[in-house]
Amino acid sequence: MTFPLRAAMVPVTRQMRAYFAPVNRATEEPTVFDPGLSGTFPLDAPPAPWVDLGWIENFERWYDTPTDVVRSGARTLPAGQFRGPMEARVEFNFRQWGKLQMALAGGSEHMNVLAPAAGSTTPVPSGGTPAPGVAVLPGSTATELFFGAGVATGFSPGCLLAVDSDYQQQTGYVGSGIAAAYVSSATAVKQDPNYVRRVTFNVGRVAEVTTASVLLAQPLLGGAPPAGASAQMVVAFVDREGGSFFQEWSALFVAEEETGGRVCFYYPRLSPNPGVVAANSSGRFVREDFSAIEMPLTAISLRASFLALPHSDTNDGQTVLCYRSYFPAGMAAAY
Amino acid sequence: MQFAKDSFFLALQERLAGLNPARTITINGATVPAIVVVENLPPSFAEPQANAFYVEWGAASVAGGHAGNGALMSLECTISYYSFGTVASMVDRGRVLGQLDAELQEICQPANTEKRDYTQAPSADLGTKVFWSQPDFLEKSKSSVENQTDKQSDGRAEHQARLKIFFFSEVTLS
Repeated sequence: MTFPLRAAMVPVTRQMRAYFAPVNRATEEPTVFDPGLSGTFPLDAPPAPWVDLGWIENFERWYDTPTDVVRSGARTLPAGQFRGPMEARVEFNFRQWGKLQMALAGGSEHMNVLAPAAGSTTPVPSGGTPAPGVAVLPGSTATELFFGAGVATGFSPGCLLAVDSDYQQQTGYVGSGIAAAYVSSATAVKQDPNYVRRVTFNVGRVAEVTTASVLLAQPLLGGAPPAGASAQMVVAFVDREGGSFFQEWSALFVAEEETGGRVCFYYPRLSPNPGVVAANSSGRFVREDFSAIEMPLTAISLRASFLALPHSDTNDGQTVLCYRSYFPAGMAAAY
Repeated sequence: MQFAKDSFFLALQERLAGLNPARTITINGATVPAIVVVENLPPSFAEPQANAFYVEWGAASVAGGHAGNGALMSLECTISYYSFGTVASMVDRGRVLGQLDAELQEICQPANTEKRDYTQAPSADLGTKVFWSQPDFLEKSKSSVENQTDKQSDGRAEHQARLKIFFFSEVTLS
């Protein structure tokens, strides 16, 4: 027989874990987190397509959805209230750096610095003329890229690859699987055939090289390479203060449960936005901090700040910015 | 409090048995995973054995910052162990100690376990969890283990890990 326990109603956590998944930018459809279908997943194995971005620090949620009062009568007594403009933000620090973490913290186009072409001398802050791409053959998957005998061996274990289509003068969102940038005109990107691979999220590290293919240590975020894709080596990542593109992702934050009860925060659509809440005294600039390990050693973290965008709940059509779900511990009292 | 102590110890003992089945000691003729609670041994018990974890409990207090009448308690815990290594010259005692460090870190993960009543068989789930801080590894200490080794100066390599466990008390505060 189970007795309800009030002590088990206290969620205790040690740290917060972040998971992100792409929003379909063409339709603005988020990745849906259904607590009933996948809420109690092991934290090391999130359900697809959620990507584990590791433990985060200084997680803070902010909301500003003021209510206003309807008054009536000679004494203008409160007769009811309604919600005003909605706004919610979330901020935290990534402790782990990676392609996706940097893109989310930077907020705009995130550049893969492609390995330079032999003899390239013209400097460009986000990477100059790259070595030509190597065609990816049909049959490749998100974890194995076929290049053909004698070609794959041109890569070595440990190298990073950007895998995507050539830029073909199109406008709109580019990047297979995940929108990585928005191209307003071909001239803006100088008709550069490498542009998609400069920004794509389909980046992977080579774990093993076979005679005709390379095996990746992690699957490409956007899935199997599209037909006609090529691969280029990546030597660094660059984000930029500025840019016109806004990243937009679905986010799920899970408080590691120490007492059995799990708390999740789901934001269907998050868009990077430094906001004003953490601004300095002038209210204009946001200071990035280092996390001291033991002076002078410090860890460099990536500060990320987001504005929540609205989503319509299909159950009742209500417009919401975020969801908080709670999975009570086994014997916790219901109320 | 005893339920929390028992739950913590048995969780670590079970994890150690799974992690390194060969890490055992013999107590009163019985071979068991090499982790014991000092207060569960007779006071006259012989010197702690090498390559084994000895758990000692320290001060307990009501943790602040909690709501409601179910007291969140903290209890200090010290885990001591030492090694002479595996060869006569003892030159690998540091490596063995490092292995013991790693095993202790591993069996402390995840840093929580169900609180169960082990005074009955089968044990009963008490509905809450025991959770604990990550262990701090110290070189020197004032524990009984350390004092004995200080006297002996026999070249052993030893460590002491300290952590704090937390649990909701069975006693309801008024």
